[in-house]
Parts: sequence; structure tokens; C-alpha cells
Amino acid sequence: MTSVRRRLVPYGLLAPGLIWLIVFFVIPMYYMGELSLKTGTIETGYQMTWAFSNYTDSISQYSTQFVRAFYYAGVASLLCLLIGYPLAYAIAFKAGRWKNLMLFAVVAPFFTTYLIRTIAWKTILDDSSPVVSFLKTIHLVPQDGRVLATSAAVIAGLTYNFLPFMVLPLFASLERLDRRLLEAGKDLYASATQTFLKVTLPITMPGIVAGVLLTFIPAAGDYVNATFLGGTNQAMIGNVIQSKYLVVRDYSEAAALSFTLMAIILVALIIYIKFAGTGALMGDEEEAR
Amino acid sequence: MKAWRWLRENAVMIVGILALLYMLTPIFIIALFSFNNPSGRYNFEWVGFTTQYWAHPFAISELTDALLVSIRLAFFTAIGATILGTLIAIALVRYQFFGRKAANLLIVIPMATPEVVIGASLLSFFLTLNVFELGFQTLLIAHIMFSVSFVVIVVRSRLIGFDRRLEEASADLGANAFTTFRKVTLPLIAPGVVSAALLSFALSIDDFVISNFNSGSEVTFPLYIFGANQRGIPVQVNVIATMLFLITVFAMVVAIVQQRRAEKASAMRPEEIANKPAMSLPV
Amino acid sequence: MPNMKMKRIRLLLIAVLALGASLVLVACGGGGGGLSGSDNSDVTTATGGDPTGSLNISNWPLYIDNQTIKNFQSQTGIKTTYTEDVNDNNEFFGKVQPLLSQGESGGRDIIVVTDWMAEKMYDLGYIQNLDKSKIQNVENNLIPSLQHPSFDPDRKYSVPWQSGMTGLVVRKDLAPDVKSINDLFDPKYKGKVTMLTEMRDTVPLVMAADGVDPTTATTQDWMDAIDKIKKASDSGQIRRFTGNDYVQDMAKGDVVAAIGWSGDAVQAESDNENIAYVQPAQGCSLWSDNMLIPVGAPNPAAAYKFMDYVYEPKNQAKITEYVNYVSPVKGVKEILEKQDPAIANNELIFPSEEFTKNCFNQVSPPGDEAQQQEVEQAFQDVVTG
Repeated sequence: MTSVRRRLVPYGLLAPGLIWLIVFFVIPMYYMGELSLKTGTIETGYQMTWAFSNYTDSISQYSTQFVRAFYYAGVASLLCLLIGYPLAYAIAFKAGRWKNLMLFAVVAPFFTTYLIRTIAWKTILDDSSPVVSFLKTIHLVPQDGRVLATSAAVIAGLTYNFLPFMVLPLFASLERLDRRLLEAGKDLYASATQTFLKVTLPITMPGIVAGVLLTFIPAAGDYVNATFLGGTNQAMIGNVIQSKYLVVRDYSEAAALSFTLMAIILVALIIYIKFAGTGALMGDEEEAR
Repeated sequence: MKAWRWLRENAVMIVGILALLYMLTPIFIIALFSFNNPSGRYNFEWVGFTTQYWAHPFAISELTDALLVSIRLAFFTAIGATILGTLIAIALVRYQFFGRKAANLLIVIPMATPEVVIGASLLSFFLTLNVFELGFQTLLIAHIMFSVSFVVIVVRSRLIGFDRRLEEASADLGANAFTTFRKVTLPLIAPGVVSAALLSFALSIDDFVISNFNSGSEVTFPLYIFGANQRGIPVQVNVIATMLFLITVFAMVVAIVQQRRAEKASAMRPEEIANKPAMSLPV
Repeated sequence: MPNMKMKRIRLLLIAVLALGASLVLVACGGGGGGLSGSDNSDVTTATGGDPTGSLNISNWPLYIDNQTIKNFQSQTGIKTTYTEDVNDNNEFFGKVQPLLSQGESGGRDIIVVTDWMAEKMYDLGYIQNLDKSKIQNVENNLIPSLQHPSFDPDRKYSVPWQSGMTGLVVRKDLAPDVKSINDLFDPKYKGKVTMLTEMRDTVPLVMAADGVDPTTATTQDWMDAIDKIKKASDSGQIRRFTGNDYVQDMAKGDVVAAIGWSGDAVQAESDNENIAYVQPAQGCSLWSDNMLIPVGAPNPAAAYKFMDYVYEPKNQAKITEYVNYVSPVKGVKEILEKQDPAIANNELIFPSEEFTKNCFNQVSPPGDEAQQQEVEQAFQDVVTG
């Protein structure tokens, strides 16, 4: 192959996929941005008026929902981390022959569709269910209280639905851990806890960060959990965006809200990438250095 | 005490198993209620055991139609996303080229975008452009779009662990690049490609938010459930969801058995078997 | 000669570029039909189509029994596709609007939406007028009270499918004292009350309970009522805003009183016999869902046949028996009296004048488009929390 052709090969390979992404991801984002600066309604048509007021108005009006969404997503990500790390650790180090089976058990619920999994939680957390009765007995829930239609239920739903996104990166990171480092720790008289804190945790940090991002970001924009498990005071920014698009059909304000959400998340992402490099996000510690 | 020590040594495993049970609880509930015999329209309270819905799982035509739409959609998505994504993965791993960082970024950002934003922006795009009819076309486009990134990640990790010397050997023996790819590379990355395809399939069947925005008048399985939720989800939905789950369990068991057999045949060392997952799961 | 060739090629190149540039400008600048307004030009009368071809209907879920479509098909030979994809007026509008503004219906011959949405769609030019000569049964059998509604006084474009009442749906055993909408604000039911996401159902009832006549209410009256609802929502008095799914919560006892629909109460008896419809002291809201023929409908002829078919009292009786809403067709009660007396004598399905004496027809907020949107947005903000 000639040198020129050889240089063009990667571009040829990339082209179909990247073009698809550019046409169906980047350009729609541009259109959405454009739409967010227009005014009008469906009936009268939209005109470009550089309406930055769409942004200022909607952000100030829905700041509660923004904050709430990040709060719920934050708590959910933390819970995912607390539950997911031991699980990933167990699979990576303690599972032996059962490794694949356990991994599968983490991913398998995906095959029953998101909606029905969330609706199943409605049954589990129902006011008269055994679970809630038990929680009332041990006084975690007040006697006249309920679990459904509260923030707790929404956070519980978010945690459950995004747990696999935490477990898998953590697992990948833990799996790549060189066992000899752990042995070295032991040889140097470190206790199990010390080994964990000083060896395992730092090395798996990229995995942790990847997991947190992959959990937090979709959770922040979610609206399904709040719809089914929440009440009147649990709406997240995702619910507002959904209602503005599909119910009220105020497309320009909806676009402004989407863009704002996107921008906030992108900022967090860019900060992370600056620290860790793009490769690290893909789980590639070597590239990060 | 002996019990205490056992507890401490196995603490991590116990937590892990509890976590797994937590993950599977809703599935259990779904399966349980597929045997329920509700008196009215709503399937929330246990009334009585029956297998009638398992006998006639496809009795509701709208449900079956929606399911077929979802399966068709997932199938084509898997094909499209896998092809596009595998090509990208190969380019990213094998070649150094200008714009590598940018390409990396472009792949990663969709995964980091909330579904509601992707769905909404695609809707605005389709409405403004007015070229594609909202329906199966737009659903397919959207599903392929969000699956590509995941495919890239999965295939990439498989490619990274790949021994280049095998390719060099093939070249030394006179094969050109294409033949090498066809006969050496592709078979060896096949497991990664297959799991990427399966992942796309799963993501597509499962998707609700993006489909909700871009489906036009087409109804997918999750969209049917969403609509039916208002009036009472038929028991058949539970049956079908459980079926989907069982099919994947079955496929997984088959895959594991195959792999164990293959490993026995090639007689790898036990530590290697324990430390190498059969599926190259994302990241 | 090479010179000429170069010139020609250059010219061609420029022409192609110009063409390309103008195409790009058209695509980007114009803003496709999806988001541009639609002009309200002359409304067409629906004609044409093959009376033996195929028919496509979009309707709400659980709004038809499982025999009618089959019987219709065998009687007329018209292959009928019945899709239950109308879950919410606004949601459905959002789904079909891009098509309708282009003059297409996505293959639909009949769509069924509530009065106010029918009016809205008609005003936007999305609906065709009906050829009355083709629907004699409808002309003859439509009940008097539905013949001249305010939104379509001559029934030019709409044919009622079913009618209903919005009022109180309660658990008789858990909340026996609930008789008025204001009882929903009673602290003893805190967290066990729901209201509908449909603004035109919820807000007028709240207004009526406070003595305001919904048919003459001002924008301020609407906003005041919405404010009252907002306070109740913030304090946790209202558990959720729902579509039809309030019945689920009620069957389980999570909710004891709700603003709901008459047909649901009848249908819910099989889930829990303690669920009952209670006519609010200050009156209920009366509404209908209407069959409309949208622009671009491929087969209006078949649509007319269907409309006439379901307005045959004996066919309608089957529907009413299953759906349990108020039938718009004369003569159904007499037929059911023999077959199913329980239904024939059910006040919710065949309400007497006395029963609905305080009821008012479903209303929309007053004023122009902008004022209506203001009220809608305010309510929507309360609903989404």
C-alpha cells in the first residue's frame, strides 16, 4: 500500500460512524441550540429572535428542578458507588468460576425493559406491601408515612436503574489491578484495610470516576423514575423538559432547558477530561499517563 | 468466634450477593405477577395463581405488534451500530492519526449526554429538516446513534488485548491487509464484536426516553407499556418481559458452557481462566 | 481545445456549487413544515376513498369492545386497523401535528379527541368537514343534548364517540364523607388525594366548588384556582396528578378520593367494589370525545361507513356495555334494558336530567392564544412540580 493510502485508511474506517454521529448528534444539537433562541408557537411558526430570555427565564423558573435533579442524581450515584464497589470487588476477586454468572446477573435485568423494572418497584414500595410494612416496623418510615411518591422512592429507583453503569467500569478497573501489588502490600505488613485504602482505591480511581460519571449524568436527566415513583414535589429537570416538549409544546424554552442541562454536564466532563485525558474516560489508564 | 471470623472473611462476597439479590428482586416480582390472575384491569395485588397468560402470551395484538417492532428495530440497530462502531474501534486502536483526540471526544460525548437531551434534540432536528418521517426510520436512526459509542468501547477493549504478532505473522506469510483482517483479526475479535452487537440489541429493546420523543406513530414495546400503564398493564406484558429475561439467561448459559468447553479443550492454566471474562463488557 | 474545455468545466463547477449552496439555504433557512405555521385556508369536505378498502382509526385505550371491529369488518368487508394511540390530548396533538401541518394524517382516517382539542385542530385547519349525506344514522340518532355543542354548533366536523362526566371518584369505605371538590382539600385526607393532569377537567371543578361559574370565569379566576391547587400540591395534600392511573392507586387504597371520570368508576368496580363515582355538589364537567376526519385521510368513504355503523343502536349497545361511558346514540337504553338492566339503569351511563342538573360543559380558559397559553403553562408548572 502506498504511504498516502495508508495514511487515509483510518479516516476511511472512521468515516461512516463519525459521519453518522455528526449528522445525527452534533447537528441536532446545533439545531436545538438554534431553536432555543427562537420565539413562537407551533401554530405561528418559529422565528429567530436571538431570544436569550428563553435561557434566563427558564433557568430562573425551574432552578428548583435543576437543583433537585442534581441532588437526586448525586445521592443515587453515591449509593451506587457504595453498593457497586463491593459488588464489583466481589466479582473481580472473589468470584472465581462464578465471575461471568455474576456479571451477567448485573446486566440481565436490562433485558426486561426499563419501564417495567421501574413499575415493578411501584409494587414493591406500595403503601401496603410487605417491604414498607417492615420498614414501618423498624421505624425507618413513620407509621402514617409512605415510601411511594416521595424523594426516597425516586432516589431508590435511580440507584437501582443505574447500578450496572457503576458496577461495570469498576469491575473493569478492578480486574486490571495487578495482584502482585496487593501481595506486595501484604508483604510490607499492611493490613487488609490499609492495602485497600493505599493501593486498591487509588489505582481504581479512574474506574470510580468513570462509574460515577456514567451514573450521575443519565440520572440527572432522567424523568421516568420521577414519573412513576414520585409525587407532586419530586419533578426533576428531565420531567420539565419532557413536559415542555411533548405536552405544552413550547419547543424553544424546552430547547433552552435541554441545552443548559447539557452545558452544565459538559463543563463537569471537560474538567474531568482535562485532569485525566480522553483515554481515561474509556477506561484506559495507560493512555491517561 | 468462628462465625464472626467467617463473616469477616466473606464480608465482601456477602455484600456482593446481597447486591445481586437487590438487582434481581424486581425481576422476581415481574415474573411472580405474570402468574397472577387479577380481578380487574390492574395487576398490582396478588389474587390467585394461574398459568393462563403463559398459555396465551400473544393474545393482545397491539402488544404483540409493539414487541415485533421493538425486535425488528433492535435487530437492525445491532447490525448498523456494530458495523459502524467496529470500524471506528479499529481505526482508534490501530492507527495514529491527526484528530484522534477529537474523534475520541465525539465518541464519548453521546454517552455522557442525558437521554432526554438526545431525544429532544433529535426531535427538533427531524422536525426542522423534515426529510425523515417520524416513525420507524427515525427510531432506527436514533437507536443506531446512541449505540455506536457503546460498540466502540466494547470492541476497543477487545482489540487492545489482541496480540499484534498474529497479524504480523499473517503478513509475513504473504496475506494482504484485507485477508489478514478477514481470516485472523475478525475471528479473534469476534467475541467482542458479538457482545457489542448484543449490547446494542439490549439497549435498543430497553430504550424508552429517546423512543418516546422520536417514535411518531410507531409503537415499541416500552412505549406500549407506557401507554398501557394508564389503563392497566395486561398480564401478558409481565409474561413477555419474563420471557425476554429467560431467553437471555439461556443464551448466557449456553455461552458460558461453550466457553468452558473451549477452554478445557485448549487446556489453559486455571488462573488464566478465572481472570479472563468471556464477554468483553463495556469499559 | 483545452481552453474551452477548462472554461466549460469551470462553469459547470460554479453552477453545481451555486445549486448546492441554494439547496443548503433552502433546507436550513426555510425551516421545514414541521415547525412553520400552517395556514387556515379553506376547509375541505372529506370525500373520496374506497368504501370497500381499508380503514385506520386512532382512539383512546379501552374505548371499544372486542366484537365491534370484527363485526364491522365482516359486515362491510373493510379491513380495519384500530390503534389505541391516543393517551392524552396534548401528547397526541404533539405526535400528529407535524404530519397534519403538511396535510398528512399518517394514514389515519378517523381520530378521536376531546371537544376542546377537536376545536383547536379544526381552527388550525387540520380537520375536514363531514359530508352529512353519508352519515344518515348519525344525523338521525345523535342524542339532542349533543347536537349543538358550543365548539361545533352545526356538527360540521365532529361526531361524538362517547361522552362522560368528570367529578369525584372515591373509596366509599375509606372516605365516605367526600361530597364536594372542596373535601379534597380537607387535611384529614392529606396525601391520599389526586387530581387530573387534564387542566380543563381539574381547574373548572375547583372553580365551581368556590362558587365561580366556569363558563363565565375570567383568566384571573383560573389563575386563582390554579394557585389554590398549587398550595395543596406543595403542602403534600395532593399526592399526584394523574391520567387514568388514579384508579390503580385507589384500588390499593393509596388514594381515597380523586377527581376522576365516570366511566372509570364503573369499570373499576371489578378491581375494587368500593370505588364509586360521586357527583360533586356543585356539579360536574361534561365532555365528549369526538370522531374527526383529519386532512390527508386516505379513505373518508370507509370512515363514514364506520361512523354510521356505530350509530346503529344495536351496535352501539355492545360498545356501551363494555365501555361504560355515556352513549351519544338514541335508543341504546331501550335495547340494554332487555339485555343488561344493571347497565341500563346505571345513572353514570344513562344519566338523568336530575343527575346532571348542575353540570356544565367542559370549558377552556378564556381569551386569545397567548392568554390561554399563560393559564396552561401555569397549570403545567403545578403538575410537573
